[in-house]
Amino acid sequence: MHKEESRNDLGTIRIHDNVIASIASIAASEIEGVKKVEKSFKSGLLELLDKKSLAAIKVEKDKNQEITISIPLIIKYGFGIPETANKVQENVRQALEKMTNITIKDINVNVQAIERG
Amino acid sequence: MSFFRSLVIRFYAAVLILIGLAIIVFALNLLPLKNINEALLYIQSNPHARIITGLSGLLLIVISSFLAQLILGTFQREKTIAFATSSGEVTIALSAVEDLIRRLTGIIPEIKELRPDVRATRKDTILVDLRVVLKSEANIPDLTARLQEITRAKIQEVLGLEGQIIIKIHVAKIITTEEKERKRRDSEKDEPTIPYGGYIRT
Repeated sequence: MHKEESRNDLGTIRIHDNVIASIASIAASEIEGVKKVEKSFKSGLLELLDKKSLAAIKVEKDKNQEITISIPLIIKYGFGIPETANKVQENVRQALEKMTNITIKDINVNVQAIERG
Repeated sequence: MSFFRSLVIRFYAAVLILIGLAIIVFALNLLPLKNINEALLYIQSNPHARIITGLSGLLLIVISSFLAQLILGTFQREKTIAFATSSGEVTIALSAVEDLIRRLTGIIPEIKELRPDVRATRKDTILVDLRVVLKSEANIPDLTARLQEITRAKIQEVLGLEGQIIIKIHVAKIITTEEKERKRRDSEKDEPTIPYGGYIRT
């Protein structure tokens, strides 16, 4: 796992990839039409053990230190997928820029299933 | 298909053909066992031959894993529909589209069961195969036309896709009212009876 690092007069601030994933997960869940953000197999196991659960959001950094996020989603039946995915991308970008000051290159949405809301 | 991909597939086919030929030669006893033994002994005793054999094995493993990734990657890509937006990419699993179609069962009362199979081609076309079980009161031509129209409209509405959508319907079974009645009676028969269920405590 990478950590986003920024430096100020008092020291360094590191933001773990899990934090970015958590913000993205919460921001995605806020959108009407999103049933839930998919959990990874690892997080499922952790949930069984009553531990902290993480969504299966992938946070990747390229050579230019730009971040790409992939969000697996389950959409509620009856909602348009392109509009919902667009809203998720916008909300996640805004939330991350507001909370972490990190510029995101791409936010990829992966719709995995449709369920009744 | 790229030149490199085609080269890898041809190489792999050539290797498999060679192995096949070797097995046939062995089965027909065309090459004496003594010669095979001598060849193996030569490879084992000569360090250069051993290095070449080892490297050939390594090359085969690398090419095999590359080919496996190629095939699996292609399958993975074809299992999703993707489109780009200003903020990134949106991929939709074809199983999600199948979920969506399955939910149409409730809209048309004449449909007893609906099993969709969705595939995407590289030419932005979506192929939908629908296997349906109908109730006997259904008028098949009308119903299938309506089902095709509803499915197409729903996919276009929810996915926002403009590509071609081909919907094929296969009527697998028609359930008659007698059959339904028989099934209902069978299920009633199968229900376990409660011992002394008819007795009332006084």
